[in-house]
Amino acid sequence: MSVIECKGLTKAFGGTKALDNFSCKIEGNTITGLIGRNGAGKTTLLKIIAGYLQQTTGEITVFSERPFNDLTVSANVIFVHDQLNLPTALNLKEILDVMASFYQNWDRELAQRLFDYFSLHPMQYYNGLSKGMKSTFNMIVGLAARTPLTLFDEPTTGMDAAVRKDFYRALLKDYIAYPRTIILSSHHLDEIEDLLEDILLMQRGQMLLHMSVTDLKEWAVGLEGRTVAVKEWTKNREVIFSKNGGLDQTYVVVRNDFTAAELQKVKLAGIKTLPVSSSDLCVYLTSKTKGGIDDVFNKG
Amino acid sequence: MSLTKVSLAEVVKKQYIYKLHAYTQVFLSLIILQVIAILFSLNGSGMMGSGGGMIDLEVHYYSADIVVAFTMLWGFITAILITTKAYRNDDFILVTNRISSNLSNVLFLLTASLIGGITANLSSFLLKIIISIFKSDFYIDSPADIVTVMDLFVGSGATVLYIFLFSALGYLVGILVQLNRVFAVVLPVVFVGGLILDGMRGDAGVIAAVFKFFFAESSFTLFLIKGICTLVLLFLAAFGLSNRMEVKP
Repeated sequence: MSVIECKGLTKAFGGTKALDNFSCKIEGNTITGLIGRNGAGKTTLLKIIAGYLQQTTGEITVFSERPFNDLTVSANVIFVHDQLNLPTALNLKEILDVMASFYQNWDRELAQRLFDYFSLHPMQYYNGLSKGMKSTFNMIVGLAARTPLTLFDEPTTGMDAAVRKDFYRALLKDYIAYPRTIILSSHHLDEIEDLLEDILLMQRGQMLLHMSVTDLKEWAVGLEGRTVAVKEWTKNREVIFSKNGGLDQTYVVVRNDFTAAELQKVKLAGIKTLPVSSSDLCVYLTSKTKGGIDDVFNKG
Repeated sequence: MSLTKVSLAEVVKKQYIYKLHAYTQVFLSLIILQVIAILFSLNGSGMMGSGGGMIDLEVHYYSADIVVAFTMLWGFITAILITTKAYRNDDFILVTNRISSNLSNVLFLLTASLIGGITANLSSFLLKIIISIFKSDFYIDSPADIVTVMDLFVGSGATVLYIFLFSALGYLVGILVQLNRVFAVVLPVVFVGGLILDGMRGDAGVIAAVFKFFFAESSFTLFLIKGICTLVLLFLAAFGLSNRMEVKP
């Protein structure tokens, strides 16, 4: 059963459309990575799923309910983001107690153990925490709530590398023990790639790709070799990215619709075939020009 | 993972308990305000003097009116405060929708008004004690001031209702300001401008009429009916306006 279904979802802020005719289905018990450049509409989408914002047009259902103003959705979704408003008058311990009283699946023991592990102080106040510590605390809240749908919007903002690693591991372990639907938006795809099952790539408010990580790895291929030879092979194909190296060398990323026989021929033509990492591919797919930032500097 | 089902009443109750705990600063400000108001009250609310020959007579009147007035303003400002983003968005990390959030706010304001109204009423006793000890040689408790339990209840009840009315008004004003910042300028200008205009024309205008409608009612039952109807209207307006409001950081 799909947990989230969107059809033609559009959200306009003033003149600009943060979401533009966005449609997707997210299945239950998966970890989906929400990937996209800045301003692609990731946060807007998550906010609509959480019932914070109301779409301008289109339809969305979360657990078969419309999320805006719905108590069932609110009770079963936790939305963790870096601008989280937590009560300023309560200390961290009290905040955890309040959360425990609201979320029925709340795991007190897990919360406490994570709390101790990251050496947070129970008497501290949320506003007194550093940026990274705030993110760490948010993460504890997000994990311990154990809601059937957990939304993390750039949860690792400000965390150092060690804490980020711990977070990914904690997320994976808790997910395996208590399978649920998790959506994780992040800029560090290379870091979370191993964690994810599906990737949802967004661009300018629309869905670009929605597939499993294993499929995405096979989806494109990089060809590197002499410019003439590479050009010959990529002539009638969808070029995703191209880069000119020195000495008549070219690197081109194309859709991987080669047959095994063709690949053999490519190799014989002296072209190296290279796998394309998902994070590079996402950057290539969402860049506005084929050559990336280099094009800005290559005036000629 | 199976879905958890919650009922509105259950969520409102949890939010109410949470708000009593999380908004304690509101009550701290109440204590400070009432202490200041009691200090102001020590100046007396009226004075009458006469003399002749060897006798010089001065009569000072004292009352806890200032405390009540301060508490009403406190209710108004508290209500505006809890509609601000810092407070309103807190609810959304917890289980909530806009109706439950509004309902628990109303319950919180009612509780705050109860506490504010009763303490404001009781402060008159503190005032009497301070005056009889420190201020005057003779202390006369006027016959009208001999308090029966019934008087205390009616007095407190009326005070609570006044404060709750002010908080309901504050709540609506707060929601309006949250809907559009323009109201933060427009509403005070209309209010103060209206007062000035009334003053210039030299007759009682709309604002004065509104005050008269509520404050000059001699029948408690009638005042109760007027008050409750107004409360319902104010809160319904606030609910209706805020029900489509989005959560923005």
